[in-house]
Amino acid sequence: MTNSALRLFLDFDAVSQRDAHQPPAFLHRRDRKFAQLCKERDQQPDAQQWLNHIAHLSGPGGAGSSVASTQTLRLWRRVNSGFIAVGTLFGIFTMIGLLFYDGGQRINITVILAFVALQLLLAVFTTAQSLIGWQPWRWLLNRLRVEAQPGPGSKLQPLLMARAAQLGGLGFAISGLLTLLVMVVIQDLAFGWSTTLETAAAGYHRLLVTVSAPWGWFWPGAVPDLALVEATRFYRSDTAANIINPQRWGQWWPFVTMLWATWVLLPRLILSVCAAILVQHKARRLLARHPAMHALQYRMETAVLDTGNEHNDAADMPDTRTNSTLQPLPDSHVLLCWAGAGEPELPRALVNNNTRIFKAGGRASLAEDQQTRVHIATELEVSSPPTVIILTRCWEPPTGELQDFLEAARDAWPPSTRVTLVPLSPDMHQEPAAHQLQQWLRFADRMSQGFVSVSLLRLGFRDPYLEQEQQ
Amino acid sequence: MTDTPVFAVVGHPNKGKSSVVATLSQNDAIAIALEPGTTRTRQSYPLKVDGRTLYTLVDTPGFQRPRRVLEWLEAHSLSASDRAETVKAFVTQHQNDGRFTDECELLAPLIEGAGIIYVVDGSVPYSAEHEAEMAILRWTGRPSLALINSIGFDDYSDTWQAALGQFFQVVRMFDAVRAPFEQHLSLLRAFGQLEPGWEQPLEQATEFLSQQRLKRRSQAAMMVARALEDIMSFQQTRTLTAGQVQETSDNSLAVQMREQWYKRQRKREQTLRIEIERLYQHQRIKRQEAELEWHSEHDLFSESSRKIWAVNRRYLATAGFGAGAVGGVGIDALTLGTSLGAGALIGGLIGAAGSYFYGDRLMPPALRIGVLQDGLKTASFGPVQDIQFGYVVLGRAIDHWWHISHRNHAGRGLLELEPADHHWLENLGRQSRQTVQRAFDKSRKQKPLDGQQRQELAHAIEQSMIIYDDWRLNRT
Repeated sequence: MTNSALRLFLDFDAVSQRDAHQPPAFLHRRDRKFAQLCKERDQQPDAQQWLNHIAHLSGPGGAGSSVASTQTLRLWRRVNSGFIAVGTLFGIFTMIGLLFYDGGQRINITVILAFVALQLLLAVFTTAQSLIGWQPWRWLLNRLRVEAQPGPGSKLQPLLMARAAQLGGLGFAISGLLTLLVMVVIQDLAFGWSTTLETAAAGYHRLLVTVSAPWGWFWPGAVPDLALVEATRFYRSDTAANIINPQRWGQWWPFVTMLWATWVLLPRLILSVCAAILVQHKARRLLARHPAMHALQYRMETAVLDTGNEHNDAADMPDTRTNSTLQPLPDSHVLLCWAGAGEPELPRALVNNNTRIFKAGGRASLAEDQQTRVHIATELEVSSPPTVIILTRCWEPPTGELQDFLEAARDAWPPSTRVTLVPLSPDMHQEPAAHQLQQWLRFADRMSQGFVSVSLLRLGFRDPYLEQEQQ
Repeated sequence: MTDTPVFAVVGHPNKGKSSVVATLSQNDAIAIALEPGTTRTRQSYPLKVDGRTLYTLVDTPGFQRPRRVLEWLEAHSLSASDRAETVKAFVTQHQNDGRFTDECELLAPLIEGAGIIYVVDGSVPYSAEHEAEMAILRWTGRPSLALINSIGFDDYSDTWQAALGQFFQVVRMFDAVRAPFEQHLSLLRAFGQLEPGWEQPLEQATEFLSQQRLKRRSQAAMMVARALEDIMSFQQTRTLTAGQVQETSDNSLAVQMREQWYKRQRKREQTLRIEIERLYQHQRIKRQEAELEWHSEHDLFSESSRKIWAVNRRYLATAGFGAGAVGGVGIDALTLGTSLGAGALIGGLIGAAGSYFYGDRLMPPALRIGVLQDGLKTASFGPVQDIQFGYVVLGRAIDHWWHISHRNHAGRGLLELEPADHHWLENLGRQSRQTVQRAFDKSRKQKPLDGQQRQELAHAIEQSMIIYDDWRLNRT
């Protein structure tokens, strides 16, 4: 009987236990790809193919190889061999014990019948306990270190143990039978029957005929007749029994042989085969119900979704350092509102009767920007020192357009002109947030050579020392 | 149209384009900062199913010189019919012009057929400066959708909506940091509406994303189940030589082993946190929560922690009754039913009574020191005897899962796991309660759960997640 289903189950269980440490996304990709490969080849994916696939990819002795199952099966082979060896020895000694005859007492057929019944009962009990999952041999497995890890594999343990026990019983039955035959040949065995119960020979004969039913039709000689039964009854206190023909005592051996072969050997043989079939059947069933099998099927059936999260530039942040600091707001009558800054109302602190207000950026066209630059240049020619305050919206980052405007202005305006950017917050009564100011300071830094600086419209008193510390 | 839809996310600098892309592509490794110019080149984020791309999002830099671009376009166009071609000519001509790098990067996907997702910040006032940008986008002739993303706390979305409506086919509100998952799907469906050929792939994509979300919940439940089993059954052991036994008092040994035990439990909880964050593709989260400490203020077993996460005695008694009854059924089965269910009843009562009387008491693990054998002694600490410990860990794990599963990938803030203020587990079904209780009981007795029991526990935890989600969303 091959162990294919058992081996498949053990391999699958081992691989699935190892997979528990793998990231789910990887498992999904791997198994989905396998399913697609099977589809391309027009194959129905199953556990064996899946294991082969993994083994093939990992190479000989790799991840999918059957190392785990080979080890487990080897262990169980050892357990089975141990049970067979012990059973065989027990069989020899038990039969020698049963057939012990020193020429005095007869070998009691009733004892043999009772022993055979006990063997039959034990054989049935072994199978029954494995079916209900009881493991009276667990302590032995613990000692032998073949106790399975908790999981689906542990459910096979009672059946595997029952198979070992049945094989041990089979060894016991075979060696017992062979010992019997050897004893029959080399010794003169005197069988008889005896019981304390008030049973007539006819009644005892009926019992024997019933027991012999399985072989009576093909070997009638192995069914004792009534005369033999009547003749071989003995009582330990009755010395008269010794007067019958000694050959009559030996005529029981065909019956004893067939009794052992039919009611000890045959049930053990059948139940050993059944145990092996049950192991394979249970392995197949456990494999089908294995939680990892459901997960595998789900992974094979479900598409792998990649949301586009491979790109990683989280560490690639802009350099936010700047050497610029806020400068005091200069006194200037030239005010430029950039891209709608100062709308709908300009801050009163910046406006007086002499203030000239200009607009550029935003809705204005580039030609209008150019005109504004010319007008400001004219204003600056009569200003001393030439200073321009440019109001901006603090939340809109400085763009290339402002940069272009200022670069053109530097060429058009008097060389000593200084430009002060004043970012305004959406709420005129609040100062811009620090991170919004930073972008303007960096912009001023980029423009360089002291042409552009950044100031704030102070809305309240601030401690200059504290501010310096903060900077 | 056989090409897969491509959506270029464009706009003014620093208006949350990358945030929108990060949330929709579930990528928390996209550089997002309150700094203009964080995105310097365009970057594609394809959504693939089994390697097949369903759609691609393209993150682009912001406009720097829109008025100059518009002026160039107007100067090179004769009629409305040549506008798209003129935009293409602009990109071709200015490919290597440093001044227009950003414009070329953002216009290139549009001239290749991408749809336009124009992002503005609804928390700052409308600015006419944007009109040149919107005009350029209209010149491309591509289907377009405007998104009002809110970066700050003020709300100017009404004025934005009115202005954007003049330029774009569809205008949607979308908070990239706070929008719930259903809104992500709804937004993707809206993308699909921009062109007839895009509806099907976007519909498929939303279906796959929904399935993925459900699957992730099941996987997270399985991870929590495994962690609970580990934490509840963990025993710290240490072998001591005869000399060490003499040198170390029982008290100091208990303190040492308790520290090791806490350390390991904390580590296991952190491993679970990371597993769940990885599952939801959050790689860079910074967490802030009370660590598993026994006697500190934020201690797992402090009165306040127990009040927050542990279940009440009545809950424990009902769950304990069920778990005990299941054990008692075994007695009934052995007697072939002749005990008339008395086993189940007695088992249930014992379970309920045990849970009721001991469920509210602090029972830290006890230090056990074995007998001296071959000159060696084995000391063990744990597993935890306090059944409430399991509920505290479960509550914290589900709370963390909830925050992670509802966290958008644009979020860069600290993950704060604030405690709950009401016991949500009260709404859990009886069967799930019993499954959890049984698993805790078994684990703390160091009896491993079999595959079936583990599945049942994971299922019960998934039910707890659904209930917690429901409770979180419906609480006032």
